[in-house]
Amino acid sequence: MNGYLAFLKKEIFEYVKTYKLLIMLMVFTVFGITNPLIAKLLPEILESLINDKGIISLPEPTAYDAWTQFFKNATQIGLIVMVILFSGVLSSELSKGTLINLLTKGLSRTAVILSKYTCMVLVWTKSIALCFVLTYGYTVYLFPKDETSNLLFSVFCLWLFGLFLLSALLFSAALTKSNYGCMLITGIVVVACMIMNIISSVHKYNPISLATDNMGLIMNSIEVSSLYSAIMISCLLSLIFVSLSVVIFQKKPL
Amino acid sequence: MGVLEIKQLYKRFGHHEVLKGLDMDVPEHSIFGFVGQNGAGKTTTMKIILGLLKPDSGSVTVCGEKATYGGSKTNRNIGFLPDVPEFYGYMTPMEYLKLCGEITGLTKSKIKSKSEELLELVGLKGEKKKISGFSRGMKQRLGIAQALLNEPKLLICDEPTSALDPVGRKEILDILLAAKGKTTIVFSTHILSDVEKICDRIAILHGGKLALCGTLSEIKERRRHNGFVLEFENEKDASSFENAEELKQPSIGLSRNENTVTVLLPDHDMDGHLLLSVLSQKRIVPLKFEVMEPTLESLFMEVVQ
Repeated sequence: MNGYLAFLKKEIFEYVKTYKLLIMLMVFTVFGITNPLIAKLLPEILESLINDKGIISLPEPTAYDAWTQFFKNATQIGLIVMVILFSGVLSSELSKGTLINLLTKGLSRTAVILSKYTCMVLVWTKSIALCFVLTYGYTVYLFPKDETSNLLFSVFCLWLFGLFLLSALLFSAALTKSNYGCMLITGIVVVACMIMNIISSVHKYNPISLATDNMGLIMNSIEVSSLYSAIMISCLLSLIFVSLSVVIFQKKPL
Repeated sequence: MGVLEIKQLYKRFGHHEVLKGLDMDVPEHSIFGFVGQNGAGKTTTMKIILGLLKPDSGSVTVCGEKATYGGSKTNRNIGFLPDVPEFYGYMTPMEYLKLCGEITGLTKSKIKSKSEELLELVGLKGEKKKISGFSRGMKQRLGIAQALLNEPKLLICDEPTSALDPVGRKEILDILLAAKGKTTIVFSTHILSDVEKICDRIAILHGGKLALCGTLSEIKERRRHNGFVLEFENEKDASSFENAEELKQPSIGLSRNENTVTVLLPDHDMDGHLLLSVLSQKRIVPLKFEVMEPTLESLFMEVVQ
């Protein structure tokens, strides 16, 4: 427990000092502010470009467009930035040998894995919360009349998918030596989820539903209850990935 | 009982068998020089002691407790200094020692007092620079400070001086000597003069086993040849001594290099008296009459060849 807390503190300190936290927060702040703005301005920009001939008139933007931007940016660019930033979570320490000193001080390997996961989850939570609050504020300001449903639940699903992705990332990091290997395996996990999504009966249980069904939830075209299985499976898989990481890392020659 | 006991340790990497039944016993409060060529298995042995590598068979006992692979329980009695210690570059030495202290579970006040004491010992007191700006020697010194932080019963240093300049080397050796009273030190190296300077016991690792082990004087005594070097004033004296009837025995090794004659006597019942009597018989007074001392280097070369 001592080791876990001390190492968690070190991890947080590291994310602050190496600007990783700052990069994550900045990326998600930019998304948070631009999501509603792009939704509002994009039709006007497009119209000013093509309206000379008056052929197309675009529909009025709504809050839905702002949230579409939110989920698109967060799931596409946001998660990719996160995976790239965190891909060196173990490999950088292993290749430099910085962990050796601490492990020979009696720090348990389990504590290393658990505190690393905790810290990644904290950074992700902070980033997505910041992005959400900013998007929410601007959306309410720019589109005051539009109503959305299941908004918090939808964001919760996305957050949970982030947790799942981070557990897969940690598992990949424990499995490989380099951060490229780590990114590769994480990518394979995501692609596997996407491919399985083609089978419609799997969709209900597929963790990736948590990152693809968000707009459906907000527009009420997808039932909240239809995602319960995917939530259960995601939690279970995350738990399995983290446990496997602990077991694999325990056996890793350093 | 020794602080560190290794029994029948085997380890192979692929087809390459590095350790072939290593036995080693390190008594308390010694500075134990662990000598061997590059690739002899010194680092492998240390990593197994620390539970960072899995041995194929054999056991390691630290302070009476068995060390296990992947575990870190026995490590609380050990301080380890890797050959090239690496730290988090964004921290200052104080911050780093604080992290180490928290991991070992020291109290806040203890961490503070101990860190200050150790930074003073290694000459980094008041260093506010981040570790990323440190020279290799400074990192090595900080490495010793972190290794001594939990007051270990056993300090393991993996080639602490190999990468340093003469000044840095002397500093590290002095620090290790100063730590001697408080802890047992196992210190691997291939720089033999360092061993002669500070170690009271040595072990030479060769072919996956200990080829030699004991205190420095014991080993030298055991390996002492009955060898003598005589230097004469001129060639006439030298050749007259060399051609003496008494020395014309097949078991006596004689070699001459200008005015210097080296004599190797086969065993202990023949000793220097024989040579002295030859000298007095021939009425020759040599310029120099010297008993050959084995150097650690000659011992090492002998063992390794």
